[in-house]
Amino acid sequence: MDLYTRRLLINRFNLIVSLLTMLFGLFWLGWILFTLFKAGFGGLSAKLFLEMTPPPGSDGGLLNAIMGSLLMGAAGTLLGTPVGIMAGIYLAEFGSRGWLAPVTRFISDILLSAPSIVVGLFIYEAYVVRVGHFSGWAGAFALALIVVPVVIRTTENMLRLVPDSLREAAAALGAPQWKVIVLVTVRAAKAGIITGILLAIARISGETAPLLFTSLNNQFWTSNMNAPMANLPVVIFQFAMSPYEDWHKLAWAGALLITLSVLALNVFARVFFRNRTATY
Amino acid sequence: MGSEHLSKQYDNELETLRSGVLQMGGLVESQIRGAIEAFAHGNQELIDQVIANEVRVNECEVQIDDDCSHIIVKRQPAASDLRLIMAISKTVTDLERIGDEAEKIARMSRQIHERGHADLHRFATVRHAADIALSMLRQALDAFARLDAADAASIIRQDVAIDTEFRSILRQLITFMMEDPRTISTALEIVWIAKAIERIGDHAKNIAEDVIYIVKGTDVRHTAVEIVEREALS
Amino acid sequence: MNAAVLQPVEQALTQKIQVKNLNFYYGKFQALKSINLDITERKVTAFIGPSGCGKSTLLRTFNRMYALYPNQEAQGEILLDGENILDPSQDLNRLRAKVGMVFQKPTPFPMSIHDNIAFGVRLYESLSPREMEERVEWALRKAALWEEVKDKLKQSGTSLSGGQQQRLCIARGIAVKPEVLLLDEPASALDPISTGRIEELVHELKNDYTIVIVTHNMQQAARVSDYTAYMYLGEMVEFGVTDEVFIKPKKKETEDYITGRFG
Repeated sequence: MDLYTRRLLINRFNLIVSLLTMLFGLFWLGWILFTLFKAGFGGLSAKLFLEMTPPPGSDGGLLNAIMGSLLMGAAGTLLGTPVGIMAGIYLAEFGSRGWLAPVTRFISDILLSAPSIVVGLFIYEAYVVRVGHFSGWAGAFALALIVVPVVIRTTENMLRLVPDSLREAAAALGAPQWKVIVLVTVRAAKAGIITGILLAIARISGETAPLLFTSLNNQFWTSNMNAPMANLPVVIFQFAMSPYEDWHKLAWAGALLITLSVLALNVFARVFFRNRTATY
Repeated sequence: MGSEHLSKQYDNELETLRSGVLQMGGLVESQIRGAIEAFAHGNQELIDQVIANEVRVNECEVQIDDDCSHIIVKRQPAASDLRLIMAISKTVTDLERIGDEAEKIARMSRQIHERGHADLHRFATVRHAADIALSMLRQALDAFARLDAADAASIIRQDVAIDTEFRSILRQLITFMMEDPRTISTALEIVWIAKAIERIGDHAKNIAEDVIYIVKGTDVRHTAVEIVEREALS
Repeated sequence: MNAAVLQPVEQALTQKIQVKNLNFYYGKFQALKSINLDITERKVTAFIGPSGCGKSTLLRTFNRMYALYPNQEAQGEILLDGENILDPSQDLNRLRAKVGMVFQKPTPFPMSIHDNIAFGVRLYESLSPREMEERVEWALRKAALWEEVKDKLKQSGTSLSGGQQQRLCIARGIAVKPEVLLLDEPASALDPISTGRIEELVHELKNDYTIVIVTHNMQQAARVSDYTAYMYLGEMVEFGVTDEVFIKPKKKETEDYITGRFG
């Protein structure tokens, strides 16, 4: 056969193989989602958001767990984001000279891929043991430590995408470097940086291991960050491992809840900021 | 003109232009020769030929000017190329006028010979002036072909010689007219012919000035001969 | 009675920028070799030459833009109004407020049109909102952009077309009232009509500012500038009045470049 036909056939073959592998991957994802929905959907109700985690055998919801996750997630984000953004700015804008930047980047990358349980253990050792009790703050610290490298990475990358010509244009007007960074560069990368933060939040929403040793769990409602705090992942862990049927149902519902929120965050991040990125 | 352009097309276009000018120059030269020959011997065929060729001379002028416009719009010539195009445009105008003068000489020669007044051997000075004019033109075209400014400068001096010749022809003719009034019509025609030759010399001088402009970049029109020579030899 | 013959007053032309023995290095590579030249006040000087000849490099030494990057170094003297701007004690930001720059690619800031222009002004002047509005209008009028954007000052600078964005950058540059304006191939990314407008603009601006323009378009240099410098491989080959350089250049290399006889 001639060259053209042969290439056509090879092309088709490769397309089909790619399609099949994609379907293969999607299949598992689909199955997970399907299972989640099937098992958890029934548990979704107003009660979920209104009542506390119940002892086995009685009715209840996940309110304290949801609350705890929200509180610790917010605290962790608020603690970790500024650090991450500043470090990201340093790496992108000042990182061309000297040794500090490559070292920082290296450490951040390691932290990024560190198992989250290690982070949890670290906070346990460094804080929980010292203070003597588990607490919501400890959980927040652990989450912050996970947020930081993610935000560093995305902030640096987004800032690097801003073309030098923009920085030069601002500098050419006589703006000192910090003003160039704050008023122009960061502003130009704003959409990307915020997307990075949202992705970090999505990441920590489902982290279980670090919270195991830090915030532990709490059956009851508490908004005291200084005491052990309930949170969705640990609750799911606990309820799923138990032999109780109603706890299982709640666990599934909680898992579905987390999945849906992460999905919503991702979609929001993409859609809302899709048109905001400036074209260069 | 030194090395070649990046665009071979451009070089070809300029070459075509240059050879067009030289061809037109050659045509005009033969026009002059024919006209003077006709003046001396009254050859009817020659006269008709000169008058007929005048059309071709005009066509050359139009064609070359058109080519110049094309080059300007396409190539936006600068520096020496620009000066070349400007000078060529002016040179063909001068050549065309020379052609006109040659035609006038031919027409008047016909009238002289039809009238039948011979004795034209007495007007050898006219022949002489014509030879100078012709050699000036030849030299100018040569200087153009070789882009030789020094040569061009020497032509400008020769224009003075033609002017002197013209004045002496005038004096001669006045003498003849006073001696024999019957010769007045013919004499007047010869005056026009001499004037035409003098003009041919002027045009050749213009062409020489154009050559200096191309090579040196200085516009030497309307300047004294000494200054021109200094410029050309610098 | 003889009428008095009035002679035009010869304006003493001051040299706004004087470059003395300037050498420039990108790391080990020498990009500029012993450049000597004077930029005349309130005239347009153009730098022309083939790619890599150093014309943009030379332009960027005038506002020390190279200082933003490591491994770029200038040696020699550049006097702006008599003061050497290569001196380490020179305040870079103040220098750049005096010597403005417009780049090849239009770079509007990610803010409203009004803020784009106000940005530079706010750096060194404190104007009331009314005064700021007047300044913005003045700059936009000078840049021949006012009529097109006067109703949408709050819109983002990035919403304009390419030619408009470039004029916005020019307005931004002149809003701070610099003394010198450096234009680095300002029209090369634009269509012919926008290019024409920019050239008209340069012609008007030179009444108030000293302008240095880098361009790879020779005809543009011939149209727009009063003085032209031809550079090749980091050296200043010829510098003179534009008309002379383009009709009767002194050096053969200049002639070859201008007539397209590179070989």
